[in-house]
Order: sequence, then C-alpha cells, then structure tokens
Amino acid sequence: MMSLSKTINLTEWVETYTNELYSWAFYKVSDAELAKDLVQDTFLVAAEKIETFKGESSPKTWLFSILNYKVIDVYRNRVKQPVSMDSNVFSSFFDGDGSWHLDKRPQNWQEEEQHLLDDADFQDVLKKCLEALPEKWNTAVKLKYLTEKNGKEICQELGIAATNLWQIVHRAKLQLRDCIENNWLKK
Amino acid sequence: MKKLMHILFLSCLKATELIEKKLNFQLSWTEKMQLKAHKMMCDACSNYEKQSIFIDKGIAASKKMEFPETDIEQLKELIVQKLENTE
Repeated sequence: MMSLSKTINLTEWVETYTNELYSWAFYKVSDAELAKDLVQDTFLVAAEKIETFKGESSPKTWLFSILNYKVIDVYRNRVKQPVSMDSNVFSSFFDGDGSWHLDKRPQNWQEEEQHLLDDADFQDVLKKCLEALPEKWNTAVKLKYLTEKNGKEICQELGIAATNLWQIVHRAKLQLRDCIENNWLKK
Repeated sequence: MKKLMHILFLSCLKATELIEKKLNFQLSWTEKMQLKAHKMMCDACSNYEKQSIFIDKGIAASKKMEFPETDIEQLKELIVQKLENTE
C-alpha cells in the first residue's frame, strides 16, 4: 500500500520526467512503441520499489538507472536472437577457402572521409543499409555508441562471450559495407 | 600452397574477422603480425579495414536521429492510470 505522499510524488515525477525518459529510451532502442513501454515499465518498477528510494540520488537519476536496466535487457534479447541469414552470410562473400568472391572484393572508395560524413546522401544510404540489417546485427554494430562502452564491458553487461560479439559484428559489417558500396558508390 | 598461405597469412574471411576483433577488443601478438602480413598482400582486406573504421564513424555521426511525433501527454496519462491501477 502506497502512502499518499508517495503517490503524489510519483504522479509529479511522471509529469516532470516522462519527456526526458522517453527521448532517452527512443534514442537507445530506435522504436517508438518500445520506448513508450520502457518508460511505462520504469514508473511501474519505481512504484514497486519506492520504499528503496531514499532520496540519496535525485529522482531523475534513480528513474534513469531503472530505465537503463530495461534498455540493457532489450539489447541482451536482441543480440541473443537467432538470425536465419547467420550461417550463409560468409558463403555469399567468400569461397570455400575463405577468399573474397571476385565481385565482392571491397573496392577503393576514393572519397574524402570527412566529406562523406557530412554528405546527406551518404548518411541516408548508411541509415537505409543499417535498417536493412536484421535487428540483432543492427544492434550489435551500434552497441559501442549506444552504450559508450568498450567491447569487454559490453560483453559483461549483456552476458555474452567476446567471440560471439565480434563475430556478430563481423557478419553485420560485411553486409553493411557491401550495401553501402552497392547503393552509394555504384549509383 | 594456398592452405599454407592461409595458415601463415590468414584467409580473407579470417582477416576480416580479426579486423572486427581489433576494432572491438584486442589482438594477440601473433594475430597482429598475421593481420599485418595479410594486409600487405591484400588490397581488398586493406580497403575493408579502412571502410569498417569509416562506417563506425558514420554510425557515431548519425546517432542523433530525428524523433517521430509522439504524444507525450497521452503517454503521461496512460502511465498515471497504470500507477493508480497497481495501488
């Protein structure tokens, strides 16, 4: 049973922090519906655990720490999903000896890097190619930036083996690089 | 002959895997040497490495994406309702 003052607190917190929590959640999971669910779950957990909130941290910090746990859960589930293309991605890029198929060999892009990063068309192609990846791979290649952590820390947090992570990233990058070359450089 | 080359200097499949390992973790001394030797002989994998690093930068640069229109007020109401129901 929640005391009256705490009920008031929580409702106030919903009013004050929902916007920021939602922006953060959306940025982290790139999915509006999921982001809403995460914010909602955050407040439900907060209501359940309100007794443990001692006011040592600000309500905002406390709520974000709950949300961040939820976000990590999302990453963990995404990275552990099976992907049906997993097994044959290598054969589409390499022959039986592990050499590039002739038509898949990475070409020299011959473009100034900075110029490319600022190029709206390039960003557009990158975005489309990222979206074309299976969710698991998409998340894996973005994890470094989303979590602002290094590979080792990411693996600890998600409870996966390091080998597993860079192998997922390897598949994702092969596909992503190829997609960019086909859709941007050859157009 | 090709087999021996692959053991000494890696296949392209293995070389690109080590490139990703290098970008996310660390390579052992042997792996570093093998990868270096492989890239000296293989333009395709050298391109791959440059582009993989570049793609990482691109992802970092694009991370601020636009938000879809979301009715925050509606979300707030929904949450308050749920909170009341759990009491």
